[in-house]
Formats: sequence, structure tokens, C-alpha cells
Amino acid sequence: MKEEWDVIVIGGGHAGIEAALAAGREGCSVVLISAKLGRIGEMSCNPSIGGIAKGTIVREVDSLDGSMAKSADETRLHFRMLNRRKGPAVWGPRVQSDAAAYAATQQKYIINKGIFLIEDEVTGLNGSTDSINGVRCRKNGIVRGKAIVIAAGTFLKGRLFRGNETWRGGRIGDISADSLEEDLVRRMFHVERFKTGTPARIVRESVNTGDLEEQPSEKSAFRFSFADSVLSKITVKCFTTHTSRKTMDIAKDYLHLSPLMAGRIEGTGPRYCPSYEDKVVKFPERMHHKIYVEPMGYRSRIFYLNGLSSSLPREAQEKMIKSLPGFHDAEISDYGYAVEYSYLHFSEIDETLKLRRTKNVFAAGQICGTSGYEEAAALGLIAGANAGRIVKELDPGRISRMNSYIGVMIDDIVSKGLDEPYRMFSSRAENRLHIRQDNADRRLYEEGSRLGILSKHRKEILSSNIEEAEGIKRILDSESVDGVILSKWCRRPGVSVSEVKKVSGLLDGKNEIIISSVILDEKYRGYIERNRRRYESGRSLEKVNLKEIGSYMEIDEICWEARETLEKERPDTLAKAEKIPGIRPTDIQGLMIFLGRKRSTWNDSNGGDS
Amino acid sequence: MCGISPEIICAVATPEGTSALSVIRVSGLGSFALLEDVMRLEKNRLQGMRRKVGRIYHGERAVDEVVVYSWPEGRSFTGEEMIEIICHGIPGSINMIMKLLIEKGARKAYPGEFARRAFANGRLNAVQVIELAALWNDNENKYTGETEESCIRLLKEIEKVRESIEGNIEFSEEHDEDKEILPAIERLVSEAVKFRKKAIMIEKNTRIMIMGPANSGKSTLFNLLCGRESALVSNEPGTTRDGSTCIVEINGKRMMLCDTAGTDGKGLDRKASEAVIKRLDGSERVIWMSEGGKVPPYSKVRKRAGEIIEIEAKSDLSERLENDRMIRISSVTGEGIKELKDMISRVPGSMSLSAAAEKIEKCIKDACGSIRSEEFDISAELMMEAEMETRRILGKGENIQLSVERALNNLCVGK
Repeated sequence: MKEEWDVIVIGGGHAGIEAALAAGREGCSVVLISAKLGRIGEMSCNPSIGGIAKGTIVREVDSLDGSMAKSADETRLHFRMLNRRKGPAVWGPRVQSDAAAYAATQQKYIINKGIFLIEDEVTGLNGSTDSINGVRCRKNGIVRGKAIVIAAGTFLKGRLFRGNETWRGGRIGDISADSLEEDLVRRMFHVERFKTGTPARIVRESVNTGDLEEQPSEKSAFRFSFADSVLSKITVKCFTTHTSRKTMDIAKDYLHLSPLMAGRIEGTGPRYCPSYEDKVVKFPERMHHKIYVEPMGYRSRIFYLNGLSSSLPREAQEKMIKSLPGFHDAEISDYGYAVEYSYLHFSEIDETLKLRRTKNVFAAGQICGTSGYEEAAALGLIAGANAGRIVKELDPGRISRMNSYIGVMIDDIVSKGLDEPYRMFSSRAENRLHIRQDNADRRLYEEGSRLGILSKHRKEILSSNIEEAEGIKRILDSESVDGVILSKWCRRPGVSVSEVKKVSGLLDGKNEIIISSVILDEKYRGYIERNRRRYESGRSLEKVNLKEIGSYMEIDEICWEARETLEKERPDTLAKAEKIPGIRPTDIQGLMIFLGRKRSTWNDSNGGDS
Repeated sequence: MCGISPEIICAVATPEGTSALSVIRVSGLGSFALLEDVMRLEKNRLQGMRRKVGRIYHGERAVDEVVVYSWPEGRSFTGEEMIEIICHGIPGSINMIMKLLIEKGARKAYPGEFARRAFANGRLNAVQVIELAALWNDNENKYTGETEESCIRLLKEIEKVRESIEGNIEFSEEHDEDKEILPAIERLVSEAVKFRKKAIMIEKNTRIMIMGPANSGKSTLFNLLCGRESALVSNEPGTTRDGSTCIVEINGKRMMLCDTAGTDGKGLDRKASEAVIKRLDGSERVIWMSEGGKVPPYSKVRKRAGEIIEIEAKSDLSERLENDRMIRISSVTGEGIKELKDMISRVPGSMSLSAAAEKIEKCIKDACGSIRSEEFDISAELMMEAEMETRRILGKGENIQLSVERALNNLCVGK
């Protein structure tokens, strides 16, 4: 073991893996500390990767040379492109993965890249908060490092609940990082509690799949990765079933034994991923909820029941499950449960994912308040890259929200804060028509290069894709149809990608996928431009500093209400002021006049230049 | 610089109505190129301090022959690239030119926007701006009463449709409510069309109602302002039966003038006068006339009218009192008529409302078309623009809670 490492990564989940690999790509020596090395890369819940917006994130992580996409391709069992009939900007590629194989593949990448692994529990950071020099471990004592990435997932003071059972853990069968959480709290980091849940796992053979509806896999050569990943050739069947009135009645009968109802869980859960009992309470008229039945792996004997997350007692869960069509004789291998955990308040994290009060500690994954493997991987990659950059005495990098979902996520978390676990939705991105899964490679090349995390091989691939795309754009700009330039013709409503290809003479032989992507760029160009202009005019407000304003109460140009609100909120810039609820455009204009007037009187007295 | 929007703005700088010439101003980076485009000039023809006599084209047709002056960046009123178009003062061709400019990417300027840019670029000093700002605040688009209500209703409908579209995009797996979206958005299209029609009516026909007790000279005033002899005029009280309307131009502003039956509250004309009062919806201006100013406006009228101008009619027949705050007019001597005209032509609001309403209608129509061709992503984008524009009319900021988060409150989703 080394004297001192460059980067220490705490946690071997989806965030930890990408962080370790990214720090490695920055040229750092990396050690990853996890309580159970065998569970590195484990999928805690749903054995799937991708979805709407999440699928795009996976491709963005790949464009920044992360490993998630490649592993997802290699271990895929089932594929669907969601939203196929809603428009290409909102397509969501999604795969079911062989959970065990996925974890093994990720572990393989870590080992191959020379990441050192230590099996231990991290009990705290070492050193004073503004000059952390390592971490303290239960078995190995002090491990020194120049920068740290905390990717502890749901393990910070993790508490598991089921009926009236409560026990410690970040996940069933895992420890809870209580000491680490205590250390953070002692160092006055503001933490809050969130909750999430998971459904039961069922023995595959005990389910009568004949009674279920089959959900076939799409035959598609789609790959998450832009590089040459190996695509798995195996497919498995997935199924759906549904709950009924009977299921609902059972839930109602046991509701009083729910730990949430009993008030034992304080953490807020996500509205988009409620437990079954939450759904029953909130939408009592709804009888039928669709449940997805997903195999955990090709040779796995387990089914995952997606949609039936629950923390009701075992007895209740068993009855509910047996009420589902096909599950009459079901055998439960693991019961569902809820987990409550601590996460860092957004005020502690800056746009590079560094903990503000430290010089070299970064946060990634669920401890930032996000949920989802894809979100965690993206944050891990950025945190790891920036930790590496700090070690190399380079400035940490920022990702723009106009260019990627990763940028949107970081900006949302850090500036707006969260009141429920953050999951990416496509509508979070104003620039959704530009931020698509088909052009992630071209979008992120520049920022990836600046961050310094692109390997030579990846750079070659991305720059060759960009060149090819530019060539195709040149063709579209030069050919015309009925007197209209092809690139403008693409913008007509209802014109499809295949029509454009038919009409053009010169596109034969070029990469089909890139052609489609460039055509889509043209199709959406008008909207993307308008968005960009709106964003730019918003940005100019960011440059207007409000710190010089003493008291808002004397400003005649704005109305009373605005004065009170501004006095209370004291925004730093005009852009932040604009975002305050209740502040209207006329208030902003009034402020601008006030500031302008102030500035010109100063200029007069300074004989100034404005 | 403070909050400059990089968009190209354009506006008619001369008053509404017919005249020999009118001026349209265009400001913003790219104005030169835009004009070179619509005038079919060679590139860079307008670079620098230039003037050019030429034609503005729409397709193959020439819309008007115009003189354009170009002002380069740093040497114009606003400090940005500016063009001043001098065109013929025919409302139809002025509208056509504005439409063309907007099609090519410019947008109608908000009241005072040219001055704001001039200030932001240091071309106007603070004192000049304060004076303009005072004017600008008066012209702030305060839409009250029925207009505001219909706008709020429209906004609610837009929000609802957006929620279903976004909910459908994000949770398509779990929701089969595809079928509901198309009918909902089609309904929204007809709401938007109604709103646009109303907006145009409001701007083009600001209603001015002439009201007051019988025989106070309303019809005489009406005829005077309309310039014709249409209403029956007699000395017998209550001779105007239904009241007449005509569209007039006063000081360049177009408005609808309504003469009414004597609002005496008595006799046969009582029904007619009550009907008139019922029609008031808070957006009209009422000229309340009574001989010598002796009869004040009825409380019902006060409550329902948007604004009341009190007039002391037939001033030739009485002496001026002290503390007289009313306008004294005499249709016989012409006293006070000019003052009255000035007052009623000071109508708040500019052409922005109908422009915004047209934009909203277009966005929603296009969004509907996109849903039909299964382009939900484009439809969502268009609906967002429609919502932003509607909020802008209402003076609300752009702080919208994410549509999908609103949807989450109503949708049972999640796995």
C-alpha cells in the first residue's frame, strides 16, 4: 500500500466507479475503498440502465470516456427505445441488464485500469476541514490522499424499514456508514434525510409466466457506447402484470403497520417512484397498476417486480404479491423495504462538485441528493475528474447546462436545491431539442477535452464523428430540393429523416447514424437558436452584480412588494433576482434603471468611462 | 451591459392612421442583413452610414417602395445596428412590412424598448431616461377586467395541456392517455383563436361610450367627432333610440365611438339605458355629459366603466364655475373639443397585445400539428413558448414550476 495516494474514492457504487476511472484518466494514482469489494457495481434496485433522459446521460458519460455504456451494452438482455413515437429529441434507450454480469464487467474495468482496492469501512475524513489529507478506516487506520471523492450512496446513516422491523444498513446485507456520517455532521456539514424503497424479489420458477403479458425486446443494433463496445447476443423475456382491487384492499388493511404512516420515516421520498402503498393512498380510485416483471439475469433465478416497492410487513407483501395474476404460487426470495439516508444539502456543494468548505473533497451520487444509477455515474465522473485536476494543480471544470443533461443536473442541484430525490426528466433541460441521445458524442467533445479526461482512442473516435458530421452538413447546405436548400427543407413540419435521405443524392455511403443525427440538428435548428438567444439574454443579467446595493427599501423604481422581497432574499446578481418567485419583469427593469443611474453619477464624478 | 436582449426589435415609430409617410425602426445586430434580405439587395449594401431607395418584397410582389437609412453600431440612437425605414403611410402596407420583418426573425419591440437599449448602451443619460421611463410606465400594458380574465383562463388551459404532454413524454410507459391529448389541444386552439380575435378587437376598437341624461348634447358631440350628420338630433328628450356607433380616428388613434340613448333611468328609454349599462365591462372609457355638469355619473356606471371623463356640456349656455375640474365643451362654439380629443386619444397599451396573441395562436396551432405528426418533442417546445408569451402579457415572470413537476401532482406514476 502506498504512502499517499492522489485520489481516494469512498464507495464502489455507480458514482464511485466512474469517479475512480476518471481520476485515473487525469493521470492520478487512485484507491477505491469499499466495505464489500464483491458488491462493487451492484444494482441496488431495478436491473436496468437508461430510460428517457437517463439513456441520454449514459451516452454523455460514454462521450466523456466513462465505462457505464460499454458495460451496459456488453451485459444487455433486453432492449427498448422508449418514446419512439414521440419525436427523436425525447427518445429514451433502455436496457435490462444481467445484474451480476454488469457488476463483474464494471469490476473488470476498474482492475484493468490499475485502481487499487481496499476492503474496509471509512469512518471519517482526516485533518481539519479546510485541509483534509486523507481518510480514516476501521481496519487500515489512516489512508492518505491528496483529494477525496465521497460516493457513499445511501449508506450515510442508512436505516432500513419493513413493517415494524428497523435495522441499520445502506442496502440489505450492507453496513451503514454511521461513523462517516457522524464525522461529516461534526464538521458542521448540513445534511438532510431522504427516503427511497425497493420491491420484493421473486423466485423465477414459482411464477406462472403463461398468465403474464410478454414484453418483447426490440431487435436493434443500438449501442449506448460510441466506441466499439461488444453487444451482448443474449435476450430474455420480460413480462407485465397488474394489481387489482384485491391487492389494494390488502395494502389498505396493513396500512397502519407501514413505517411511513407510523411516522418512523422522516425522509422525503420521490413523487415519481412511490411505494405501492403511497399510490394506494394518493390515488385510491385507481384499481390497476402495471407491474413489470424483470429477470435479474440470464441465469439468475430471480425476478424483480418493478412497481411494487413496499415497506409493509412481510405478511402484507406476500399477500399482495400472491394477488397478482400468475403469482398465485409465488415464492419470495427477498422482501421489499424502504431505506432512509442522509445526503448533503445543496449549499455545501459547488458547480464543480467540490464541497465548498474544503479545498479537495468532492461529492458524487446519491449523497448529493440524486437518485438513479445514471445520474450517479455522471456525477461520479465529473467529481473524479475534478478531484484529479485539483491534484494536478489545474482548475476544476464546469459543464454547461445548455450542452448536456449532466450540466443541467449539476446546475439544478447546486443552484436550486432539492425537496425530493432528484431524477432527470427530459423537460428539466430547456435545450432538450439539442441535448439528444444521438448527438452526445459531438456535444461533449469540447468540454471533455478541456476537462482532460478523454483518452487518445476516445478523442480519435469523437473527432472523426465530428468531421463526418461536418461533411454531411456541408452536403445539406449545398444541395437543394425545389429551390429550397436541403438544410432548410429539413425544418418543414412532418419531414422525416428517411425522406431527406431519399431526396439527397450525395448521402449514400455515409454513416447512417450520423446522417440522421445531423438531419435532426437541422430540423430543430430554429428552436435551438431561439433557446440559445433566450439563454444568452438571461446570462447577461448574471453579470450585473447587486452586492453594492445597501438597502432595497429606498429604491423608487420598484414597487414596495419587490423591495421587501429583495431585501429579504438579497440576491447576488440580477439573474438570481429574476428567479425569485414574485419578482416581475418590471421590477427587474426598475432595478436596471436604478443601477444605471447610480453608475452614471459615479462616472460623472470619476470623469469616467462607462 | 444591463440585460440587453440580442434579439432584433422593430416598431412603427409614427402614430397609427393614414398619412403621407411612416417610419419603422429596426434595431439590433443583424438588422442590416435582415433588410438586405427583404429588399433583395446585395450583401453589405447597407453596411455603414447609408441610404437606399428600394423596394421591400414579399415573395415576388413588391410591398412598398421605401427609403432606408442605416446607422452602424455605435453611431445610432440605440447604439446598436439600426435601420430606419421610411415607407408610405398606408396601414395595410405598414402592417405587411412589420409582418415580414417578424417573419425574418425580428420581434415587435415592447414600449420603451428602443430607449432602454439606448440607455444600456450609454447613448442616453439618466435624466433623459427617467423622463422616458415615466412615459414608459404610463404605457405599461395594464390589461384589466375582461382581457386579463380571458388571458388568465387561457394560461390555465395552456398549463394543463403542457402538463399532459410533458407527463406523456416522461411517463409514456405507464400512461395510456395519448388519446386525450389531441382533443385537448384542439380545444386549446379554438380558445387561442378566440383570444386573438378579442385582442385585436380591443386594440383596434377601444370603445368610447358617450353617456349621460337625455338631451345633454350627446348626439351632437357624436356627430361632431364622427364628422357626419348620422344621429337624429332634436330638442325632444330621448330621440336617439338605440344609439349608434362609428369607428373614428382621433389624433391618429382608431377607436369605436358609441352614442347611447339618454340614460335617464326613466320611462321607455329605461330598458335601453339599462342594456347599455349592462354592456359595460370595465374596458371602456365613458364620456359622461350633462348640461352644465349638473348630473353626476350614476353609481352603476361608475362601478362598471373603465374610466370616466366628465363633461360639462353646452358650455355656451352657462358660466364657468370656480373649482371646475370638468372639461367644458360646446358643440356650438367648439370650446373644449380639442382638449377632449386629446384626452380620449391617450389610450393606454400599444400594438403588443394583438402581436402577442397572434404569436400565441400560432404556437398553439403549430403545437397541435406537431402532435398530429407525432412530434411531441417539438410540440412541447412550442407549448412552452406559448406559455411564456401568455405570462409575459400578464406581466408574470418566467418562474414556472417545471411542467412535469406540476404533472407529478396529478399523475399516478412511478415504478
